[in-house]
Amino acid sequence: MQKPSTYIGLGLFLAFTAFPLLLGIGYALLFSLGLTGILSEGFTLDHWRAVLGSARFWETMAFSIYVALVSIGLAAGLALLLVMRRPRTFENGPLSFFIYLPLAIPSIVMAFLIFQLLSKGGALSRLAYQLGLVDGLSQFPDWVNGQYGIGIITAHFFMALPFFLILYTQMYYHEELKGLMQQAFTLGATRRQANWRVAAPVLLRRSFATVVLYFLFVMGSYEIPLLLGSQSRQMVAVLTIQKLQRFNLGDIPQAYTISVVYSIIVIALVAGLLRKRK
Amino acid sequence: MFLEAKNINKCFGAEQVLDDLSLQLAEHEMLSILGRSGSGKTTLLKILAGLESPDEGEIVLEGQDMRPLPPNRRNIVYLYQEPLLFPHLNVFENVAFGLRLRKTQEGVVRKRVGEMLANLELPEQARKMPHQLSGGQRQRVAFGRALIINPKVLLLDEPFGALDAETRASMQQLLKRMAKAFAITALFVTHGLKEALIMGDRIGLMEQGKLKVYETKKAFINDTGTGVQAEADFWRGIYLES
Repeated sequence: MQKPSTYIGLGLFLAFTAFPLLLGIGYALLFSLGLTGILSEGFTLDHWRAVLGSARFWETMAFSIYVALVSIGLAAGLALLLVMRRPRTFENGPLSFFIYLPLAIPSIVMAFLIFQLLSKGGALSRLAYQLGLVDGLSQFPDWVNGQYGIGIITAHFFMALPFFLILYTQMYYHEELKGLMQQAFTLGATRRQANWRVAAPVLLRRSFATVVLYFLFVMGSYEIPLLLGSQSRQMVAVLTIQKLQRFNLGDIPQAYTISVVYSIIVIALVAGLLRKRK
Repeated sequence: MFLEAKNINKCFGAEQVLDDLSLQLAEHEMLSILGRSGSGKTTLLKILAGLESPDEGEIVLEGQDMRPLPPNRRNIVYLYQEPLLFPHLNVFENVAFGLRLRKTQEGVVRKRVGEMLANLELPEQARKMPHQLSGGQRQRVAFGRALIINPKVLLLDEPFGALDAETRASMQQLLKRMAKAFAITALFVTHGLKEALIMGDRIGLMEQGKLKVYETKKAFINDTGTGVQAEADFWRGIYLES
Protein backbone atom coordinates (compact mmCIF):
# COMPACT_ATOMS: atom_id res chain seq x y z
CA MET A 1 0.00 0.00 0.00
CA GLN A 2 1.48 3.31 -1.08
CA LYS A 3 1.47 6.32 1.25
CA PRO A 4 -1.06 9.09 0.42
CA SER A 5 1.88 11.47 -0.12
CA THR A 6 3.08 9.19 -2.97
CA TYR A 7 -0.28 9.53 -4.74
CA ILE A 8 -0.31 13.30 -4.16
CA GLY A 9 3.22 13.53 -5.60
CA LEU A 10 2.24 11.42 -8.59
CA GLY A 11 -0.90 13.52 -9.13
CA LEU A 12 1.08 16.78 -9.00
CA PHE A 13 3.65 15.35 -11.41
CA LEU A 14 0.93 14.32 -13.86
CA ALA A 15 -0.96 17.61 -13.51
CA PHE A 16 1.96 20.02 -13.82
CA THR A 17 4.57 18.10 -15.82
CA ALA A 18 3.28 15.15 -17.85
CA PHE A 19 -0.19 16.47 -18.72
CA PRO A 20 0.82 19.86 -20.22
CA LEU A 21 3.65 18.13 -22.08
CA LEU A 22 1.38 15.47 -23.53
CA LEU A 23 -1.19 18.13 -24.35
CA GLY A 24 1.42 20.15 -26.23
CA ILE A 25 2.78 17.16 -28.14
CA GLY A 26 -0.76 15.96 -28.88
CA TYR A 27 -1.76 19.36 -30.23
CA ALA A 28 1.42 19.55 -32.34
CA LEU A 29 0.73 16.06 -33.70
CA LEU A 30 -2.85 16.98 -34.66
CA PHE A 31 -1.60 20.16 -36.32
CA SER A 32 1.12 18.27 -38.21
CA LEU A 33 -1.49 15.80 -39.51
CA GLY A 34 -3.79 18.55 -40.69
CA LEU A 35 -6.45 17.74 -38.10
CA THR A 36 -6.48 21.17 -36.51
CA GLY A 37 -5.33 24.72 -37.32
CA ILE A 38 -6.68 27.62 -39.23
CA LEU A 39 -5.96 26.18 -42.69
CA SER A 40 -6.75 22.59 -41.78
CA GLU A 41 -8.26 20.55 -44.61
CA GLY A 42 -8.47 17.20 -42.91
CA PHE A 43 -6.03 14.33 -42.37
CA THR A 44 -2.86 14.50 -44.48
CA LEU A 45 0.73 13.26 -44.32
CA ASP A 46 1.92 15.99 -46.67
CA HIS A 47 3.57 18.04 -43.92
CA TRP A 48 5.44 14.99 -42.62
CA ARG A 49 6.56 14.14 -46.17
CA ALA A 50 7.66 17.73 -46.69
CA VAL A 51 9.69 17.82 -43.46
CA LEU A 52 11.19 14.33 -43.60
CA GLY A 53 11.96 14.68 -47.30
CA SER A 54 13.65 18.04 -46.89
CA ALA A 55 17.44 18.13 -46.89
CA ARG A 56 17.30 21.32 -44.85
CA PHE A 57 15.54 19.61 -41.96
CA TRP A 58 18.15 16.83 -41.77
CA GLU A 59 20.95 19.38 -42.11
CA THR A 60 19.42 21.29 -39.23
CA MET A 61 19.23 18.15 -37.10
CA ALA A 62 22.82 17.23 -37.96
CA PHE A 63 24.01 20.79 -37.20
CA SER A 64 22.16 20.78 -33.86
CA ILE A 65 23.74 17.45 -32.92
CA TYR A 66 27.16 18.71 -34.01
CA VAL A 67 26.90 21.89 -31.91
CA ALA A 68 25.67 19.97 -28.86
CA LEU A 69 28.33 17.25 -29.23
CA VAL A 70 31.24 19.66 -29.63
CA SER A 71 30.23 22.14 -26.93
CA ILE A 72 29.29 19.52 -24.33
CA GLY A 73 32.18 17.25 -25.28
CA LEU A 74 34.67 20.10 -24.84
CA ALA A 75 33.09 21.43 -21.63
CA ALA A 76 32.67 18.03 -19.95
CA GLY A 77 36.10 16.85 -21.13
CA LEU A 78 37.93 19.98 -19.96
CA ALA A 79 36.02 20.01 -16.65
CA LEU A 80 37.01 16.39 -16.04
CA LEU A 81 40.66 17.13 -16.82
CA LEU A 82 40.76 20.22 -14.58
CA VAL A 83 39.06 18.47 -11.67
CA MET A 84 41.39 15.48 -11.90
CA ARG A 85 44.50 17.66 -12.08
CA ARG A 86 43.51 20.25 -9.49
CA PRO A 87 40.53 18.98 -7.52
CA ARG A 88 41.15 21.21 -4.49
CA THR A 89 41.01 24.38 -6.62
CA PHE A 90 37.29 23.99 -7.12
CA GLU A 91 36.53 22.60 -3.68
CA ASN A 92 38.11 25.34 -1.54
CA GLY A 93 39.26 28.91 -2.08
CA PRO A 94 37.86 31.77 -4.16
CA LEU A 95 37.27 29.70 -7.31
CA SER A 96 34.89 27.39 -5.46
CA PHE A 97 32.66 30.47 -4.99
CA PHE A 98 33.17 32.28 -8.30
CA ILE A 99 32.56 29.13 -10.29
CA TYR A 100 28.86 29.40 -9.37
CA LEU A 101 28.49 32.91 -10.81
CA PRO A 102 28.44 32.02 -14.53
CA LEU A 103 25.50 29.69 -13.82
CA ALA A 104 23.43 32.76 -12.95
CA ILE A 105 24.02 34.37 -16.36
CA PRO A 106 21.02 33.99 -18.67
CA SER A 107 21.84 32.44 -22.04
CA ILE A 108 20.82 35.59 -23.94
CA VAL A 109 23.36 37.61 -21.93
CA MET A 110 26.04 35.02 -22.66
CA ALA A 111 25.10 35.21 -26.33
CA PHE A 112 25.58 39.02 -26.28
CA LEU A 113 28.92 38.65 -24.49
CA ILE A 114 30.17 36.19 -27.09
CA PHE A 115 28.86 38.44 -29.87
CA GLN A 116 30.78 41.39 -28.41
CA LEU A 117 33.86 39.22 -28.13
CA LEU A 118 33.95 37.19 -31.35
CA SER A 119 32.05 39.13 -34.02
CA LYS A 120 33.83 40.99 -36.83
CA GLY A 121 33.31 44.26 -34.94
CA GLY A 122 34.01 42.67 -31.56
CA ALA A 123 36.83 42.93 -29.05
CA LEU A 124 39.02 40.14 -30.42
CA SER A 125 38.69 41.43 -33.95
CA ARG A 126 39.75 44.92 -32.86
CA LEU A 127 42.64 43.51 -30.87
CA ALA A 128 43.76 41.46 -33.88
CA TYR A 129 43.63 44.65 -35.99
CA GLN A 130 45.63 46.64 -33.43
CA LEU A 131 48.25 43.87 -33.32
CA GLY A 132 48.47 43.89 -37.09
CA LEU A 133 47.20 40.31 -37.42
CA VAL A 134 44.46 41.43 -39.84
CA ASP A 135 44.44 44.38 -42.28
CA GLY A 136 40.78 45.14 -41.76
CA LEU A 137 37.90 43.98 -39.58
CA SER A 138 36.35 42.17 -42.55
CA GLN A 139 39.36 39.84 -42.61
CA PHE A 140 38.55 38.56 -39.15
CA PRO A 141 37.12 35.01 -39.44
CA ASP A 142 33.37 34.36 -39.28
CA TRP A 143 33.27 33.08 -35.74
CA VAL A 144 29.85 34.59 -35.18
CA ASN A 145 27.03 33.87 -37.64
CA GLY A 146 29.42 31.52 -39.46
CA GLN A 147 29.00 28.10 -41.06
CA TYR A 148 30.71 26.15 -38.27
CA GLY A 149 28.74 27.59 -35.36
CA ILE A 150 31.89 28.61 -33.48
CA GLY A 151 30.08 31.44 -31.67
CA ILE A 152 27.23 29.13 -30.61
CA ILE A 153 29.66 26.44 -29.48
CA THR A 154 31.74 28.98 -27.52
CA ALA A 155 28.70 30.40 -25.73
CA HIS A 156 27.39 26.94 -24.78
CA PHE A 157 30.89 25.87 -23.79
CA PHE A 158 31.25 28.77 -21.35
CA MET A 159 27.81 28.10 -19.91
CA ALA A 160 28.41 24.36 -19.51
CA LEU A 161 32.00 24.45 -18.22
CA PRO A 162 31.25 25.76 -14.68
CA PHE A 163 28.30 23.40 -14.41
CA PHE A 164 30.48 20.37 -15.17
CA LEU A 165 33.30 21.67 -12.96
CA ILE A 166 30.91 21.80 -10.00
CA LEU A 167 29.39 18.42 -10.87
CA TYR A 168 32.73 16.62 -11.20
CA THR A 169 34.25 18.30 -8.14
CA GLN A 170 31.35 17.14 -5.99
CA MET A 171 31.50 13.65 -7.48
CA TYR A 172 35.30 13.50 -7.07
CA TYR A 173 35.01 14.02 -3.33
CA HIS A 174 32.20 11.52 -2.92
CA GLU A 175 33.07 8.90 -0.31
CA GLU A 176 32.83 5.97 -2.70
CA LEU A 177 35.19 7.42 -5.30
CA LYS A 178 37.61 8.32 -2.52
CA GLY A 179 37.54 4.67 -1.41
CA LEU A 180 38.04 3.41 -4.96
CA MET A 181 40.99 5.75 -5.45
CA GLN A 182 42.59 4.66 -2.17
CA GLN A 183 42.06 1.05 -3.21
CA ALA A 184 43.83 1.77 -6.50
CA PHE A 185 46.74 3.45 -4.66
CA THR A 186 47.35 0.47 -2.39
CA LEU A 187 47.18 -1.83 -5.44
CA GLY A 188 50.10 0.15 -6.85
CA ALA A 189 48.52 2.96 -8.87
CA THR A 190 50.14 6.39 -9.03
CA ARG A 191 47.78 9.37 -8.78
CA ARG A 192 47.85 9.72 -12.56
CA GLN A 193 47.02 6.03 -13.07
CA ALA A 194 44.27 6.17 -10.46
CA ASN A 195 42.82 9.26 -12.15
CA TRP A 196 42.78 7.76 -15.64
CA ARG A 197 41.98 4.16 -14.81
CA VAL A 198 39.50 4.75 -11.99
CA ALA A 199 38.34 8.33 -11.45
CA ALA A 200 37.74 9.29 -15.11
CA PRO A 201 35.71 6.20 -16.10
CA VAL A 202 33.74 6.27 -12.85
CA LEU A 203 32.96 10.00 -13.18
CA LEU A 204 31.98 9.61 -16.83
CA ARG A 205 29.69 6.67 -16.00
CA ARG A 206 28.06 8.47 -13.09
CA SER A 207 27.59 11.70 -15.04
CA PHE A 208 26.40 10.04 -18.25
CA ALA A 209 22.70 10.81 -17.69
CA THR A 210 23.45 14.45 -16.81
CA VAL A 211 25.69 14.81 -19.87
CA VAL A 212 22.94 13.44 -22.13
CA LEU A 213 20.31 15.73 -20.60
CA TYR A 214 22.57 18.77 -21.04
CA PHE A 215 23.26 17.60 -24.61
CA LEU A 216 19.50 17.62 -25.31
CA PHE A 217 19.17 21.03 -23.69
CA VAL A 218 21.88 22.47 -25.98
CA MET A 219 20.44 20.72 -29.02
CA GLY A 220 17.10 22.41 -28.43
CA SER A 221 18.46 25.81 -27.37
CA TYR A 222 17.04 28.93 -28.99
CA GLU A 223 18.42 32.32 -27.88
CA ILE A 224 22.11 31.56 -28.39
CA PRO A 225 21.81 30.14 -31.95
CA LEU A 226 19.30 32.88 -32.82
CA LEU A 227 21.86 35.59 -32.08
CA LEU A 228 25.08 33.79 -32.97
CA GLY A 229 23.99 31.37 -35.71
CA SER A 230 23.92 31.80 -39.48
CA GLN A 231 20.88 31.99 -41.73
CA SER A 232 21.91 29.04 -43.88
CA ARG A 233 22.73 26.62 -41.06
CA GLN A 234 20.20 26.81 -38.30
CA MET A 235 19.61 24.87 -35.15
CA VAL A 236 16.34 23.02 -34.75
CA ALA A 237 14.60 25.49 -32.41
CA VAL A 238 15.45 28.46 -34.65
CA LEU A 239 14.15 26.69 -37.76
CA THR A 240 10.95 25.67 -35.95
CA ILE A 241 10.19 29.17 -34.64
CA GLN A 242 11.03 30.67 -38.02
CA LYS A 243 8.53 28.40 -39.75
CA LEU A 244 5.96 29.07 -37.03
CA GLN A 245 6.21 32.84 -37.34
CA ARG A 246 6.51 33.12 -41.10
CA PHE A 247 4.15 35.10 -43.21
CA ASN A 248 3.25 31.90 -45.08
CA LEU A 249 0.63 30.21 -42.86
CA GLY A 250 1.16 26.99 -44.83
CA ASP A 251 4.52 26.55 -43.06
CA ILE A 252 2.95 26.36 -39.59
CA PRO A 253 2.06 22.63 -39.78
CA GLN A 254 5.68 21.95 -40.79
CA ALA A 255 6.87 23.75 -37.66
CA TYR A 256 4.65 21.46 -35.59
CA THR A 257 5.92 18.43 -37.52
CA ILE A 258 9.52 19.39 -36.72
CA SER A 259 8.66 19.79 -33.05
CA VAL A 260 6.98 16.36 -32.98
CA VAL A 261 9.95 14.68 -34.70
CA TYR A 262 12.33 16.41 -32.31
CA SER A 263 10.19 15.36 -29.32
CA ILE A 264 10.23 11.74 -30.54
CA ILE A 265 14.02 11.80 -30.81
CA VAL A 266 14.39 13.31 -27.33
CA ILE A 267 11.89 10.89 -25.75
CA ALA A 268 13.63 7.92 -27.44
CA LEU A 269 17.01 9.09 -26.14
CA VAL A 270 15.72 9.60 -22.59
CA ALA A 271 13.89 6.24 -22.65
CA GLY A 272 17.07 4.52 -23.85
CA LEU A 273 18.98 6.26 -21.09
CA LEU A 274 16.53 5.14 -18.41
CA ARG A 275 16.66 1.56 -19.69
CA LYS A 276 20.45 1.62 -19.58
CA ARG A 277 20.40 2.93 -16.01
CA LYS A 278 18.12 0.07 -14.91
CA MET B 1 60.66 -8.94 12.45
CA PHE B 2 58.81 -8.70 9.12
CA LEU B 3 56.57 -5.74 9.96
CA GLU B 4 57.03 -3.45 12.91
CA ALA B 5 55.06 -0.43 14.03
CA LYS B 6 56.81 1.48 16.81
CA ASN B 7 55.23 4.02 19.13
CA ILE B 8 52.58 5.24 16.72
CA ASN B 9 50.59 8.27 17.82
CA LYS B 10 47.75 9.84 15.90
CA CYS B 11 45.32 12.60 16.84
CA PHE B 12 42.32 13.94 14.96
CA GLY B 13 41.82 17.37 16.51
CA ALA B 14 41.74 16.94 20.25
CA GLU B 15 40.97 13.24 20.05
CA GLN B 16 43.88 10.84 20.46
CA VAL B 17 43.03 7.93 18.15
CA LEU B 18 46.28 5.94 18.48
CA ASP B 19 48.23 6.16 21.71
CA ASP B 20 51.85 5.03 21.60
CA LEU B 21 50.86 1.90 19.71
CA SER B 22 53.42 -0.75 18.81
CA LEU B 23 53.06 -4.12 17.09
CA GLN B 24 55.18 -6.78 15.47
CA LEU B 25 54.15 -9.16 12.75
CA ALA B 26 56.13 -12.18 11.58
CA GLU B 27 56.23 -13.25 7.93
CA HIS B 28 53.24 -15.42 6.87
CA GLU B 29 51.47 -14.63 10.14
CA MET B 30 47.89 -13.43 10.46
CA LEU B 31 47.26 -11.19 13.43
CA SER B 32 43.63 -10.60 14.39
CA ILE B 33 42.93 -7.24 15.96
CA LEU B 34 39.75 -7.14 17.96
CA GLY B 35 38.19 -3.86 18.93
CA ARG B 36 35.00 -1.87 19.18
CA SER B 37 33.97 0.78 16.68
CA GLY B 38 36.04 3.91 17.22
CA SER B 39 38.91 2.11 18.94
CA GLY B 40 41.33 3.22 16.19
CA LYS B 41 41.58 -0.04 14.20
CA THR B 42 40.87 1.52 10.80
CA THR B 43 43.24 4.43 11.46
CA LEU B 44 46.01 1.95 12.32
CA LEU B 45 45.48 0.05 9.05
CA LYS B 46 45.35 3.26 7.02
CA ILE B 47 48.61 4.44 8.58
CA LEU B 48 50.28 1.11 7.75
CA ALA B 49 48.96 1.36 4.17
CA GLY B 50 50.19 4.94 3.82
CA LEU B 51 46.70 6.39 3.41
CA GLU B 52 47.10 8.35 6.67
CA SER B 53 50.26 9.75 8.24
CA PRO B 54 51.13 9.14 11.87
CA ASP B 55 51.86 12.16 14.06
CA GLU B 56 54.73 10.20 15.58
CA GLY B 57 56.18 6.73 15.31
CA GLU B 58 57.91 4.43 12.89
CA ILE B 59 56.78 1.74 10.47
CA VAL B 60 59.39 -0.73 9.28
CA LEU B 61 58.78 -3.45 6.71
CA GLU B 62 61.60 -5.90 6.08
CA GLY B 63 64.01 -3.43 7.64
CA GLN B 64 62.89 -0.53 5.43
CA ASP B 65 61.32 2.63 6.83
CA MET B 66 57.91 2.95 5.20
CA ARG B 67 57.15 6.56 6.16
CA PRO B 68 58.66 8.27 3.10
CA LEU B 69 56.94 5.84 0.73
CA PRO B 70 53.54 6.65 -0.80
CA PRO B 71 50.84 3.93 -0.66
CA ASN B 72 51.50 2.74 -4.23
CA ARG B 73 55.13 1.92 -3.43
CA ARG B 74 54.61 0.05 -0.16
CA ASN B 75 53.19 -3.17 -1.62
CA ILE B 76 50.75 -3.24 1.29
CA VAL B 77 47.15 -3.74 0.16
CA TYR B 78 44.30 -2.40 2.25
CA LEU B 79 40.91 -4.11 1.90
CA TYR B 80 37.81 -2.30 3.11
CA GLN B 81 34.66 -3.72 4.61
CA GLU B 82 33.03 -2.96 1.27
CA PRO B 83 34.70 -4.81 -1.62
CA LEU B 84 35.00 -1.52 -3.58
CA LEU B 85 35.28 -3.22 -6.96
CA PHE B 86 35.84 -0.84 -9.83
CA PRO B 87 32.31 -0.51 -11.24
CA HIS B 88 33.40 0.05 -14.85
CA LEU B 89 35.49 -3.15 -15.01
CA ASN B 90 34.27 -6.73 -15.19
CA VAL B 91 35.45 -9.41 -12.76
CA PHE B 92 38.41 -10.41 -14.94
CA GLU B 93 39.63 -6.82 -15.32
CA ASN B 94 39.11 -6.06 -11.63
CA VAL B 95 41.35 -8.98 -10.69
CA ALA B 96 43.83 -8.03 -13.43
CA PHE B 97 43.97 -4.37 -12.29
CA GLY B 98 47.27 -4.58 -10.38
CA LEU B 99 48.92 -6.60 -13.15
CA ARG B 100 47.84 -4.06 -15.78
CA LEU B 101 49.39 -1.28 -13.68
CA ARG B 102 52.62 -3.23 -13.71
CA LYS B 103 52.35 -3.70 -17.50
CA THR B 104 52.43 -7.50 -17.20
CA GLN B 105 52.32 -9.36 -20.54
CA GLU B 106 48.83 -10.19 -21.78
CA GLY B 107 49.46 -13.96 -21.82
CA VAL B 108 50.71 -13.88 -18.23
CA VAL B 109 47.72 -11.75 -17.16
CA ARG B 110 45.28 -14.26 -18.69
CA LYS B 111 47.01 -17.22 -17.07
CA ARG B 112 47.31 -15.69 -13.60
CA VAL B 113 43.84 -14.20 -13.51
CA GLY B 114 42.39 -17.52 -14.74
CA GLU B 115 44.20 -19.37 -11.97
CA MET B 116 43.14 -16.85 -9.37
CA LEU B 117 39.48 -17.02 -10.42
CA ALA B 118 39.66 -20.82 -10.25
CA ASN B 119 41.11 -20.58 -6.72
CA LEU B 120 38.27 -18.26 -5.76
CA GLU B 121 35.71 -20.57 -7.39
CA LEU B 122 34.67 -17.78 -9.72
CA PRO B 123 35.69 -18.85 -13.24
CA GLU B 124 32.14 -18.56 -14.62
CA GLN B 125 31.81 -15.00 -13.36
CA ALA B 126 34.83 -13.63 -15.26
CA ARG B 127 32.80 -11.53 -17.71
CA LYS B 128 30.21 -10.31 -15.22
CA MET B 129 30.13 -6.75 -13.96
CA PRO B 130 30.39 -6.11 -10.19
CA HIS B 131 26.69 -5.22 -9.82
CA GLN B 132 25.78 -8.68 -11.15
CA LEU B 133 27.55 -10.45 -8.26
CA SER B 134 26.42 -11.36 -4.75
CA GLY B 135 28.08 -9.76 -1.70
CA GLY B 136 30.25 -12.82 -1.07
CA GLN B 137 31.32 -13.06 -4.70
CA ARG B 138 32.26 -9.37 -4.72
CA GLN B 139 34.40 -9.84 -1.63
CA ARG B 140 36.12 -12.84 -3.25
CA VAL B 141 36.95 -10.74 -6.31
CA ALA B 142 38.41 -8.09 -3.99
CA PHE B 143 40.65 -10.77 -2.40
CA GLY B 144 41.72 -11.98 -5.82
CA ARG B 145 42.51 -8.44 -6.95
CA ALA B 146 44.69 -7.97 -3.87
CA LEU B 147 46.41 -11.36 -3.83
CA ILE B 148 47.34 -11.47 -7.50
CA ILE B 149 50.03 -8.81 -7.00
CA ASN B 150 51.62 -10.79 -4.14
CA PRO B 151 51.47 -8.00 -1.56
CA LYS B 152 53.93 -8.13 1.27
CA VAL B 153 51.18 -7.42 3.76
CA LEU B 154 47.40 -7.61 3.44
CA LEU B 155 45.34 -5.33 5.68
CA LEU B 156 41.78 -6.53 6.10
CA ASP B 157 39.37 -4.05 7.65
CA GLU B 158 36.33 -6.05 8.76
CA PRO B 159 36.09 -7.62 5.31
CA PHE B 160 33.11 -9.80 6.19
CA GLY B 161 31.19 -7.19 8.14
CA ALA B 162 28.56 -6.69 5.45
CA LEU B 163 27.92 -10.41 4.81
CA ASP B 164 25.25 -12.71 6.23
CA ALA B 165 26.31 -15.34 8.79
CA GLU B 166 26.45 -18.25 6.35
CA THR B 167 28.42 -16.41 3.66
CA ARG B 168 30.64 -14.98 6.36
CA ALA B 169 31.52 -18.48 7.63
CA SER B 170 32.33 -19.76 4.14
CA MET B 171 34.41 -16.64 3.39
CA GLN B 172 36.37 -17.13 6.61
CA GLN B 173 37.24 -20.66 5.49
CA LEU B 174 38.12 -19.44 2.00
CA LEU B 175 40.43 -16.75 3.39
CA LYS B 176 42.09 -19.27 5.74
CA ARG B 177 42.69 -21.56 2.76
CA MET B 178 44.00 -18.72 0.57
CA ALA B 179 46.20 -17.42 3.40
CA LYS B 180 47.87 -20.81 3.60
CA ALA B 181 48.14 -21.27 -0.17
CA PHE B 182 49.60 -17.79 -0.78
CA ALA B 183 51.61 -17.61 2.47
CA ILE B 184 49.93 -14.32 3.34
CA THR B 185 51.13 -11.94 6.00
CA ALA B 186 48.06 -10.10 7.22
CA LEU B 187 46.40 -7.95 9.82
CA PHE B 188 42.75 -8.88 10.20
CA VAL B 189 40.61 -6.31 11.96
CA THR B 190 37.24 -7.32 13.34
CA HIS B 191 34.82 -6.56 16.13
CA GLY B 192 33.68 -10.20 16.27
CA LEU B 193 35.23 -12.24 19.03
CA LYS B 194 34.62 -15.57 17.29
CA GLU B 195 35.97 -14.25 14.00
CA ALA B 196 39.11 -12.96 15.68
CA LEU B 197 39.72 -16.41 17.18
CA ILE B 198 39.05 -18.22 13.88
CA MET B 199 41.18 -16.00 11.67
CA GLY B 200 44.22 -15.01 13.72
CA ASP B 201 47.40 -16.93 14.49
CA ARG B 202 47.70 -14.41 17.30
CA ILE B 203 45.18 -11.93 18.62
CA GLY B 204 45.44 -8.33 19.69
CA LEU B 205 42.90 -6.31 21.61
CA MET B 206 42.53 -2.64 20.80
CA GLU B 207 40.97 -0.21 23.24
CA GLN B 208 41.06 3.58 23.14
CA GLY B 209 43.99 3.69 20.75
CA LYS B 210 46.10 1.18 22.65
CA LEU B 211 46.89 -2.31 21.41
CA LYS B 212 47.64 -5.34 23.55
CA VAL B 213 48.86 -8.35 21.58
CA TYR B 214 48.60 -11.78 23.21
CA GLU B 215 51.37 -14.23 22.46
CA THR B 216 49.00 -17.21 22.43
CA LYS B 217 45.28 -17.72 21.93
CA LYS B 218 45.20 -19.30 25.37
CA ALA B 219 46.52 -16.13 26.96
CA PHE B 220 43.85 -14.17 25.10
CA ILE B 221 41.09 -16.51 26.27
CA ASN B 222 42.29 -16.49 29.86
CA ASP B 223 42.34 -12.69 30.09
CA THR B 224 38.98 -11.64 31.55
CA GLY B 225 39.24 -8.25 29.85
CA THR B 226 38.87 -9.76 26.37
CA GLY B 227 35.26 -10.84 26.95
CA VAL B 228 35.90 -14.46 25.98
CA GLN B 229 35.10 -15.75 29.48
CA ALA B 230 31.89 -13.71 29.65
CA GLU B 231 30.85 -15.04 26.24
CA ALA B 232 31.61 -18.62 27.25
CA ASP B 233 29.66 -18.15 30.52
CA PHE B 234 26.69 -16.79 28.57
CA TRP B 235 26.51 -19.83 26.27
CA ARG B 236 27.17 -22.20 29.14
CA GLY B 237 24.25 -20.62 31.03
CA ILE B 238 21.97 -20.96 28.01
CA TYR B 239 23.01 -24.58 27.61
CA LEU B 240 22.41 -25.41 31.28
CA GLU B 241 19.01 -23.70 31.30
CA SER B 242 17.74 -25.65 28.29
